[in-house]
Amino acid sequence: MKRAMAFVLVCLIASTALADTITVAAAISLKDALSQVAEQYKTDTGQVVEFTLGASGQLASQIQNGAPVDLFISAANKQVDDLAKAGVVDNATRRVVAGNSLVLIVRAASKASPDSLKALTDAAVAKIAIGEPKSVPAGQYAQQALKHVGVADAVKDKLIFAGNVRQVLDYVERGEVTAGLVYATDAKVSGDKVRITCTVDDADHDPIVYPAVLVSASKQQAAATKFVDYILSDKGQAKLKEYGFAPPPPPPQPTTQPTR
Amino acid sequence: MSHELWQTIWLSLRVSSIATCVALLVALPLAYMNARSRYPGKSLLEGLLVVPLVLPPTVVGYLIISGLGVRGWIGQYLHQWLAYSIMFRFEGAVLAAAVVALPLLYLPTRAAFASIESEMEDVTRLMGANRLQMFWHVSLPMARRGLTSGLMLAFSRALGEFGATVMVFGIRPNHTTLPVSIYLDYENGEMQQAAPAVVVLCVLSLTLTLLYNRSAISRQD
Repeated sequence: MKRAMAFVLVCLIASTALADTITVAAAISLKDALSQVAEQYKTDTGQVVEFTLGASGQLASQIQNGAPVDLFISAANKQVDDLAKAGVVDNATRRVVAGNSLVLIVRAASKASPDSLKALTDAAVAKIAIGEPKSVPAGQYAQQALKHVGVADAVKDKLIFAGNVRQVLDYVERGEVTAGLVYATDAKVSGDKVRITCTVDDADHDPIVYPAVLVSASKQQAAATKFVDYILSDKGQAKLKEYGFAPPPPPPQPTTQPTR
Repeated sequence: MSHELWQTIWLSLRVSSIATCVALLVALPLAYMNARSRYPGKSLLEGLLVVPLVLPPTVVGYLIISGLGVRGWIGQYLHQWLAYSIMFRFEGAVLAAAVVALPLLYLPTRAAFASIESEMEDVTRLMGANRLQMFWHVSLPMARRGLTSGLMLAFSRALGEFGATVMVFGIRPNHTTLPVSIYLDYENGEMQQAAPAVVVLCVLSLTLTLLYNRSAISRQD
C-alpha cells in the first residue's frame, strides 16, 4: 500500500515537472477554438500546449499573483493594459490574435424580434441580459453600444447583468429574458436555440479583440512566441474562423512587433 | 462607509435572515418527524435534504432555474397563470440562500431531537399534554442547542452564498449581496475595493460567534 502511494506520488511529481510544455492562460470564450489550434500545433511541431481557462479578469489576477503562465490571451485589452502597467507582462510582445463581433439574440421561438439596438426600447422587449459591464468584457462592449446608439437610459430598467456571457446565453435560451447581447461566437455555439436578430455595428463599441502577450516571468518566451505565430498563421486563423472568430482587425495595434 | 456598501449589507442581511426563516419552516417539522418516526422513503428524503451540501452551488442555481424559471417545470405555470417569475427578484435570492442553508440547519436540529430520551416525551404525554404542547414545551426547549447552532450555521452559509445567487438573482447595478460585490471587484481586478465588504462579512461572523458563545455559556448552569 505504502509503495503504491509512493509510486502515485512520484508519478504526480514527475508529470508536473515535464519540461517544454508551455502554459497558456486564455479567456474561456476561446476554449474550443484554441484547443483545436493547440492540437494541430502538437501534430505539426510536437510542442505541447496546456491551457488554464477562465474569465480574463480572473486570469489577470492569477498572473499578477505569480501564476506560472507563459502566455496570456485575454478577451479584452483592459486586462493586458493593467498587467502591462504592473510590469507583469511584456507589452512589446502584445499581438491581437483574433476579433469578434457583438450580436443581439433572442430565443429561437421568440415573438419579439428586435432588429436593431434601438428596437430594444419596444414594449415587446421586457428584459435584456448583458454581461456585468465592469467585469465582463462582452458586457462592457454591450454597454458602450447601447450608449452610442443613445438607448442606454431608455433600456436601463430592462437590463439584467450576468456574471459571464454563458449565463447571458442561458437566460436567453430559457426565455428568462427577451433578448441578450453576446459575441457572435457564443451565438454560434448555441446553435438553433437562439436567433441572431442583428449584428451590432463595430463602430458602436471599442474593437473586440483578443490580445496575446508574453508573461515577463516566463522561461519559455521563445516557445510561446512561436505558438502565437502559429495562431496568426493561415492554419491557425482557419481554425479560429470555424468557431466564428473574426481575423484580427486590419489596422494593427500601435505596438511594436516582437522580435523572434 | 459608502451608501452603496450600506445597501449591499442591508440586502445581504435581509436575504440571509429571511432565507434562514424559510429554511427553519422546512427543516424544523422534517427534523422532528425524521427523528421520531420511521416511514418508507425516509432515507431518500433525508438524502435529498442534505444534497445541497455536496452539490456545487452552480448546480443548485441551475436546478432552481430549471424548476422555477419562466420555462421551468413549475415556473411555466406560475408565469402563465400569475405572470410571476422568481428570477432576478428578491425572492430568488432568498430561495437560493435557503436551499444551500437548509442542510446545515436540518442536520444539527435532527440530531438534537434524536438525542432527547423518549421517556421525557412519554411522561409529558402521560401528564396529559397533547402532541403540540409536548413539542412546544418539552421537545423544542430540549433541542434548542442543536437548533441554535443550526440556525447560526444556516445564517452564515446564507450570508456567504454566492454561486446559486449569482445565477438566479443576476447581478444588478448597486443591488447585490456582499459575496457578489466581492466577486465583481475581484473579476474587475480591484480586489482592494472589496476590502470593506470582506471586513463586514468577517465582523458579522465574529459577532455571531460571540453572541452564540455568550448564550451557550449562560445556558450551561
